[in-house]
Amino acid sequence: MRFTFQPIRVATGFDEEGMMVLDEKQRLVAVLVRLSDDNEVAAGQWYLEAGFGWLDGGSHPTFSNLDLAQDWITQRLAHRAPA
Amino acid sequence: MAAPQNFHDNPLIRKLESVFMLTDDERLALENLPMQLAVLKDDQDIVREGDSPSRCCLILSGFTCTYKVTKEGKRQIMSIGIAGDIPDLQSLHLKVLDNSIGTLSTCRVGFITHDDLRNVCDRYPRITAAFWRETLIDAAIFREWMLNIGRREAYNRIAHLFCEMLVRLRAVGLAEDHACDLSITQGEFADAFGLTPVHVNRVLKQMRADGLIEITGTRLRIPDWDRLKEVGEFDPTYLHLEQQDLAA
Repeated sequence: MRFTFQPIRVATGFDEEGMMVLDEKQRLVAVLVRLSDDNEVAAGQWYLEAGFGWLDGGSHPTFSNLDLAQDWITQRLAHRAPA
Repeated sequence: MAAPQNFHDNPLIRKLESVFMLTDDERLALENLPMQLAVLKDDQDIVREGDSPSRCCLILSGFTCTYKVTKEGKRQIMSIGIAGDIPDLQSLHLKVLDNSIGTLSTCRVGFITHDDLRNVCDRYPRITAAFWRETLIDAAIFREWMLNIGRREAYNRIAHLFCEMLVRLRAVGLAEDHACDLSITQGEFADAFGLTPVHVNRVLKQMRADGLIEITGTRLRIPDWDRLKEVGEFDPTYLHLEQQDLAA
């Protein structure tokens, strides 16, 4: 599955830039936020701020780049997709 | 602020006396419990799920956590143990442990054999009652955590746990006014709150900015106790402390 990214500002309270992740049918599947370079926990990483559908739940991993985020989302959705 | 108390040197006695009145004989019997002392580094398992230990672990100093892990490797911390707690006391009666217990910080611990614990309980039925009461209070804490993790927003959830930790530490003489040492990392807090470290970090920043907490190294100070209690919806009834003023 291919995803597209659309920049969006996310009101996390910390002025962070984000990306909407859309699937092939232009449906919103996730929102990623790029944590600031002085973040104490995961500086400069992409954080899965919110996921929808099968991505909704307790998992909020961080990724060093958007390709890795896309791989993770693809894997998750493939794993969860009904046969 | 509670009037200064004379805390007993033995953390087990301090802890039990915070929830149960002991007689001099009972105190002496507990003081004489044989213990194998050990110092454990942080992030060590003391017991693991599935173990069948023949001894219990009394925490003399430091912090431990009771936890379980999902198949995917996600950890949920269900409670935090402090000095005076015996987080695996249930192993005295339940043959197989259904949770793991690990250290969050460097811990000094004392291992007490089940035989010695049974022996002191046989000779002093009120000590059995004290342990029973302690176990019931542990269950009350688990219930409160369930409400906290399941239904409170992150901000209120974290405020609630800080209130609980301060009151429990104060009950065993490990807090002054509204400050205590809390050598627990943000990642560990995340596992206790059911949140991500990123989320915990954001909330802590917000709480600092709002003047609810001050954190310097491992030191937590609460500048406005009444406000933190209000934010955390903290009602100490579930801790069933003998001296209610400890939670004031």
